[in-house]
Amino acid sequence: MPSMNDTKNETKRGYWRSLDELAQSSRVAELVDQEFPGYDPEHMVGTSRRDFVKFAGAGLALAGLATVGGCRRWPEEEIVPFTSAPSETIPGRALSYATVYELGGVGHGLLATAYDGRPTKVEGNPNHPFAVTVAGKIGSATQFAQATVLDMYDPDRSRVIINRTTAKPEAGTWAEFVEVASEKLAKAAAPVILSEAMSGPTVAALKKELLAAYPKLEWVEYEPISHDAQTEAGKLLTGAAVREIYDLSVADVVVLLDADLFSAANPGHVRYQADWAARRKVEGKEAVERGISRVYMAESTYSVTGSNADERLPIKPSRVDAIARGIAVGVGVSGVSAPDGLSAMEKAFVENAVADLKKAGKNAVVAAGSHLNPATVAVAMAINAALGASSGGAVKVVALPDGARPSHSAAIVKLAEQLNAGSVDVLLIVGGNPAFDAPVDVKFEEAIKKVGFSAHLSLYDNETSVACKWHVNRAHYLESWTDARALDGTVSIGQPIILPLFDGKSPAEFLAAMAGDKLAKVTGEALVRQANGLGDDKAWRKVLHDGVIPGTAYAAATVKVGGEIPQPAPMGTTAFELRFLPDSKMYDGRFANNGWLNELPDAMTKIVWDNALLLSKKDSETLGVTTGSVVKVTVGTGLAALIQDVAVYVMPGQPNGSAAVALGYGRRVSGKLGVGQGFPTYNLRGSTGWHVVGADIRSIGESYQIVTTQEHHLIDWSAKMAISQRIGDKGVTGKIARETTFVDFKADEHSANKKSHGKMSLQLFDPPNTFNTPHAWGMAIDMNACTGCMACVTACQAENNIPVVGKSEAYNHRIMQWIRIDRYFKHDPVNDADVQMPDTIHMPMLCLHCENAPCEQVCPVAATVHDTEGLNTMIYNRCIGTRYCSNNCPYKVRRFNYLDYQSKDPRGGKWPWLDLPDTQQMASVDKIKQMVFNPQVSVRMRGVMEKCTYCVQRIKAKTIPARNHKEEVLADGTVKWGNVVDGDIITACQQVCPTQALVFGDLNDAESQVSKLRRSPRSYDVLEELNTRPRSKHMAKVRNPVAGAVAEAKAPTAHG
Amino acid sequence: MAEKTNTDAGAKRFAFPRWANYFLPLAVLAVLGGALYAPTFVYFGFSPKTTWANYAPQQPVPYSHALHAGQLGIDCRYCHSTVEKAAYAAIPPTQTCMNCHTNIKYESPKLAVVRASYQTGEPVKWKKIHALADYAYFNHSAHVNKGVGCYSCHGRIDQMEVVQQVKPLSMGWCLECHRNPELNLRPLDKITVMDWKSDDQQKQGLELKKQYGIRDVAYMTSCYTCHR
Repeated sequence: MPSMNDTKNETKRGYWRSLDELAQSSRVAELVDQEFPGYDPEHMVGTSRRDFVKFAGAGLALAGLATVGGCRRWPEEEIVPFTSAPSETIPGRALSYATVYELGGVGHGLLATAYDGRPTKVEGNPNHPFAVTVAGKIGSATQFAQATVLDMYDPDRSRVIINRTTAKPEAGTWAEFVEVASEKLAKAAAPVILSEAMSGPTVAALKKELLAAYPKLEWVEYEPISHDAQTEAGKLLTGAAVREIYDLSVADVVVLLDADLFSAANPGHVRYQADWAARRKVEGKEAVERGISRVYMAESTYSVTGSNADERLPIKPSRVDAIARGIAVGVGVSGVSAPDGLSAMEKAFVENAVADLKKAGKNAVVAAGSHLNPATVAVAMAINAALGASSGGAVKVVALPDGARPSHSAAIVKLAEQLNAGSVDVLLIVGGNPAFDAPVDVKFEEAIKKVGFSAHLSLYDNETSVACKWHVNRAHYLESWTDARALDGTVSIGQPIILPLFDGKSPAEFLAAMAGDKLAKVTGEALVRQANGLGDDKAWRKVLHDGVIPGTAYAAATVKVGGEIPQPAPMGTTAFELRFLPDSKMYDGRFANNGWLNELPDAMTKIVWDNALLLSKKDSETLGVTTGSVVKVTVGTGLAALIQDVAVYVMPGQPNGSAAVALGYGRRVSGKLGVGQGFPTYNLRGSTGWHVVGADIRSIGESYQIVTTQEHHLIDWSAKMAISQRIGDKGVTGKIARETTFVDFKADEHSANKKSHGKMSLQLFDPPNTFNTPHAWGMAIDMNACTGCMACVTACQAENNIPVVGKSEAYNHRIMQWIRIDRYFKHDPVNDADVQMPDTIHMPMLCLHCENAPCEQVCPVAATVHDTEGLNTMIYNRCIGTRYCSNNCPYKVRRFNYLDYQSKDPRGGKWPWLDLPDTQQMASVDKIKQMVFNPQVSVRMRGVMEKCTYCVQRIKAKTIPARNHKEEVLADGTVKWGNVVDGDIITACQQVCPTQALVFGDLNDAESQVSKLRRSPRSYDVLEELNTRPRSKHMAKVRNPVAGAVAEAKAPTAHG
Repeated sequence: MAEKTNTDAGAKRFAFPRWANYFLPLAVLAVLGGALYAPTFVYFGFSPKTTWANYAPQQPVPYSHALHAGQLGIDCRYCHSTVEKAAYAAIPPTQTCMNCHTNIKYESPKLAVVRASYQTGEPVKWKKIHALADYAYFNHSAHVNKGVGCYSCHGRIDQMEVVQQVKPLSMGWCLECHRNPELNLRPLDKITVMDWKSDDQQKQGLELKKQYGIRDVAYMTSCYTCHR
């Protein structure tokens, strides 16, 4: 038995959360010792602790006076009914409407929930082919789509039309703008419309109309996060633009060449994850006989998809082409020559992939990342064709209608040249933010300023708006009629849920006004109906209800193989290859002012409020830097060099020689939250080196505070020693996060739990109550399905009115999210000292509603107690804020409101003690921001503990109407009252989970989905030895590596 | 192990200054004050005045429930139409008033506000009388479908010229009934009848409780039944 100080033994620990923890740096030691690191009370609050006590005393006295003198309890309220109520509206009852959100030219089918005409929540449309997870019942949406509802109520959103042609910017009117713009457009010699990618038929029709009305007009499309590589690859192979859509639900083998399919920025995010999980199910004999799919990933960073791969190869971006060609030659693709110089590791990866691909045949998918050279993507397409996968197999190929369009990067460079040459006299920019996100070397901002007349339609008055002569405030998509095409072309109609809050205009309305008088008075609804040919009222209403127009998918296409596929231009020899990533929170920077997304921990790094340069452990040691060091990144040489300082994050699994950085941060003109947040990495992105570029990285000896949530809730060394003894090496199943391999699972379905069952030797308390009348709520959390995509965190935040705390409070471990995804790494310290091949496990952690809850036993005021159905209830109005419960919670899932986080000034303003708590709180939350609150959930105030409630408001919303319903009246007059059935109640996290990794239901019903899952041999209680009897059970992960049992897969070289 | 980052180890020991001695008499006063404060707080804090029982604010329209519900006998649900389906018993839209008042007493000056609302589309702003704390979630449908009549919480609305709150609507008052629902249960067809009285409330209440499938006391008094 090692002593407490025996830290050497710790290197054998299986799971770790950060490299600092692994190395046991002094920083982590500090985190363990201090409950709130960096917390200096004298410095943080304007008044000292001593003063605070004085003031608090005075405040109490004043409040007492007010109670005695005023005898009041709450402010006077009004009830404002309709004058004439629309049908279906019932005050306080939620209604859902199908709509669509377009991101990067791809529509995401959504259901928007509105209370009294006020949208509060966005989820996936179960009728939409790319959002459905449980047919007809549950649809999922990315964190981006979910968070758009917060954008809608952003107080910093642009509210007026701004005219900057005058000496000082002044507010203009829509009529004024239309008059000026139409006149300029009519007289223009070379007008240009620069638009963000918009796929809907309405914009397509208006584009046609505009091009006909103004023959000189040029239409340019630009997106900073572009998926053009595939379009270009299609042109290379077949001469036409095509798009591959993968069906992972039938794919036995998936080979990903730096393709992050599970990233929220991937347009197929939901579909791909749902299908992947469907093919990984191990429930039932049939599934076990059939086997689960195997995912190969060769990648230049450590992506979410990579963390879920069975075989992963970390390589530089420039090596991806060689891997692709190696596989192509292996499966017999003509026109591709064998690459030379494959390392042993690469060779083993290629050989394994080839063998599996050949076996899978049609049921294989090879996908290449959209940042790669089109030639590399073409090789991947050719492999799919050669295997027969893209002709009736797991890959569907569709023809894109806008094939003639130049690539986004080429288009913006050409436009900048035109602008600089002064050959454009009118520039209308529809959406987007090119002054911020265009290639930095074309200096787009200055170029815009050279145009005689420029206008920008945008949600925010941003970098581009400021450079333009006019800014027109855009209507949010929840305020306007829109349409957009899904990945496969299926058209969805977006209907407004609310009238424009600030009288903004939708792109369609804007373009229609520009197209001329005859359309200027036409409503957005008429435009959308006309463009989609939905004149018939009945058909229109059906489309609005369903959200999709069936039969509108793009035509199928085929990929021909045969010709020689060219080699991509070789990368120059630089110390590092720098890859640009779409940010998992900011996307391209458009969500900069969105608090939910800013505070959403990145799936892999767990960074909040920032981006960072990802470096491998070895590279960071060579450079002499560590997480938080600032480095100078130089792209190119001489005068044209692009230079930017960026903070480093040392990322396990990051390939040596490859650096990766997320785009979208460092906004110059945005709202309160957006400006100056993170590093402006667009400064490194020139027109050559659009996705990957050679770079030089040097330490400049400065440091920067990066905040990650990965080290929150660390427990002390002695407890950690115990954990390390219980977990063991990589390849051995742990106690907290359990796993097995498919081979082991097939041999013994209890393999994940066999050696791990905790032993409970001492029973301190009497066995708890059964807590099962009339229902027994419970949950199953399947780590074999969880990809760590983080969609559930945003869903929970939106559903439960969870506040955003800001970077400095996040640093103090005060993040409020009720659900977190614990991400543990695991590696072999002997053969993989560089941490190139860590295993990852994503473990959702939320209140487990223990039947024998430790929190309840320590609450002095019984503010947290059990109800009869097994919910661990948290009663805000009873809570006095001792935080004992959080101290005693072994899962660390309780969150405390240290400040009034929802208010404009969380520290309470100048004289907070003069107000009574109720009025103070109501007045302090921004009136517009209040509109996003879910009225079914209390908004918590300062000094109150909170945590997951199993979405009790959703339980009540179903059980009450069910119980009110008379199902049957028997002959003797007795009534059989209704009841909820399995699947009626869906928690917010389950609702948006693409893989249904979280399943909620009634444990009294033996046939409910959750009961069945909990009977699985993979099911276990986390920390079962504490006898907390959690109502949420976790289920072990099943990996499917080539080597079979994980225990054999020790060294990276042993994979072959 | 951890490095000590706190640098105040070498700071001088703190000693209370002499004037701190005056705090002793102050402390005595504070204790006496506290002893006075506590009963005063309880007395005023829990008085009906604070809970606003009998609160009867002036409404924008001099609408008389005594006339409409009492003399004319209009069923409560004609106006409060959502009471059986939703959490809120909705205040009727102006349209509902005008259903009758386009024909009856169209010229009445008392209806000026309603007519104006109907013509302009500007809603009538009624004063809220029965207000619960924001952390309490009351559901009308869950009560009226299970035999709790309007009268039990709202009193004799049919006799009120101006509506007033007659019950304290405090948590203690809610729990009285949640613990013993049988004392307030009535047949479903008598929900809106203001003067209904059972011959034997205890006996009939228990029968109805069984018939309605009303949950046991533990469930009815669970925190999440009302708070979320």
